[in-house]
Amino acid sequence: MSSIGRILLVEDDPKDVELTLTALEEYNLANEVVVARDGEEALNYLYYRGNFSMRSHENPAVLLLDLKLPKVDGLEVLKQIKSDEKLNMIPVVVLTSSREEKDMVTSYRLGVNAYVVKPVDFHEFVNAIKELGVFWAVINEPPPGSVGRA
Amino acid sequence: MIWRYGLAVLSVCAALGSAIFMKRFHFVGVEIPLFLFASAITSWYGGIGPSVLTLILSCLTFDYFFVPPLYSLTVTREDLPYFTSFAAFAFLVTWFASVRRRVERDLLRSREELRREVEERSQQASLLNLTHDSIFVRDMNFTITYWNRGAQELYGWTPEQAIGKHSQQLLETVFTTPLDEILAELHRTARWEGEVLRTTADGSKVVVASRWSLRRDARDQAQAILETSNDISERKRREQEIRVLNEDLQRRGTELTAINKELEAFAYSVSHDLRAPLRHMVGFTELLLKNSASVLNEKSQRYVGIILEAAKRMGDLIDDLLAFSRIGRAETHKKSVSLEQLVQEALSQVRQETEGRNIDWKVGALPACYGDGSMLRLVLINLISNAAKFTRTRPKAEIEIGCTDQKPDHVVVFVRDNGVGFDMKYSDKLFGVFQRLHPHDTFEGTGIGLATVQRIIHRHGGRVWAEGQVDSGATFYFSLSKSGGADS
Repeated sequence: MSSIGRILLVEDDPKDVELTLTALEEYNLANEVVVARDGEEALNYLYYRGNFSMRSHENPAVLLLDLKLPKVDGLEVLKQIKSDEKLNMIPVVVLTSSREEKDMVTSYRLGVNAYVVKPVDFHEFVNAIKELGVFWAVINEPPPGSVGRA
Repeated sequence: MIWRYGLAVLSVCAALGSAIFMKRFHFVGVEIPLFLFASAITSWYGGIGPSVLTLILSCLTFDYFFVPPLYSLTVTREDLPYFTSFAAFAFLVTWFASVRRRVERDLLRSREELRREVEERSQQASLLNLTHDSIFVRDMNFTITYWNRGAQELYGWTPEQAIGKHSQQLLETVFTTPLDEILAELHRTARWEGEVLRTTADGSKVVVASRWSLRRDARDQAQAILETSNDISERKRREQEIRVLNEDLQRRGTELTAINKELEAFAYSVSHDLRAPLRHMVGFTELLLKNSASVLNEKSQRYVGIILEAAKRMGDLIDDLLAFSRIGRAETHKKSVSLEQLVQEALSQVRQETEGRNIDWKVGALPACYGDGSMLRLVLINLISNAAKFTRTRPKAEIEIGCTDQKPDHVVVFVRDNGVGFDMKYSDKLFGVFQRLHPHDTFEGTGIGLATVQRIIHRHGGRVWAEGQVDSGATFYFSLSKSGGADS
């Protein structure tokens, strides 16, 4: 599946990670997923720091970002990505439990590419994840310098 | 006038009679004193004119009756000194009398003036007693010299008790500014105004608004201080009360802001943290069902179904509760809105859910009113979809939207249906959060719709109420302001 872009999933809840991966697996989209468990780890990945200092020099095709995260929260991660010239082209999709208008407005103001509220219903959830995965990792043409499509 | 000249003639006649009478008994030389006596009497009581007449008459009768040749008016040379000295003496008497009369007249006049002045002054003094304000005067040593009835009423001492006392000692005055500064200002501008605290005769404290005026004498020396004052204790008490109330209000405002913040944090946490475990419950139950459907018996499959249904319902409840709390917290953007247009928008949304049903819609004319368009649309959607929901059992549903009771300042809108209705004894439960009058399997819903309606209408300063009867339909009313006057 060389046509699948790499997905960076930033999510602290292991159950949500499992559910997301299950949903992606169902559509064979899970083989290129990197999971970061908090905001700091996500930034480490993007800046080749810590465990990720040796990774290949390519950006993920899409970043699925939870907002409520330990250490550095999602909005802060979003802000740093969108204010960095090297990173601001990476498509970022906020994937959150919160329907709070405040979060939504802030995210869009910071330049988020999509904002998705995780549905409670499992089928809807799987559908949403599938469509996100298919759209961003398969259909969408990622910016130059992304994994898997160049 | 005439009696005075009559007195002149009479006194001369009396003197003449007495002299003739005396002469018969050989008393000689009494004529002149008698005539002088007559002249003195006349000038004393009759004034200058009559006394001149007396003098002339006296001279003539004396000459006629007592100076030889008798019974003639001839005057010999030897008699002249007599007449001259008589006239001079009579003139002297007359002059004295006239001086005395003048003095007496002046005296009377000044006595009258004095009386008038005293009357005027005492009238002015009694006017000062009429005023409500307390007025008192003290000299520069603070000794009280005047004390009106207002002062007596305010401070409790009678003028007799107060006059002569040292005002500071009597009233125990407490100043808010140092007395030296007050006196300096008084000497500079001749006036001072301020509030002072005083003690009355019964020991109670009064706050008075006090105005001092300095009185100077002709040589510009400070002479006395006139003070008018009135009791402002009551006003002060009210001001203090208002201050306390204001502080209270401010504190409550701060508390309310804090509570609102907490509520917001609570809602945020509910929205985030409660939904996640719910999603996991649903997600993993679904996965369980998928992976183990073949090993689960029918009963177990039903249990799994119930778990999923319950979790979904909890999700709905959380969503509705969050939406409801958002309405309470959201800012309202009020302007003039067309109710007719809002009804059309609400109808087009509700009609998507009622396709295929036989519903007779009646929409009456509606005025424009003042409010937040999107919130009012939500009110109409809730009421209209309720009406559609509770008429579902009817072969032909009738839903009417209109307004009654058009007043110049507000409008009452109603939504009427021929649905299942409700018992009026539960009408107070209709608008409560999560309050439902029907079992969940008859009519679905979380019971947040009417609570939302009420909250929105209350935020618009309006009222909402309902009328209904079991099995005979229901009518929901809400009132709204037509102009921006009534804000929530």
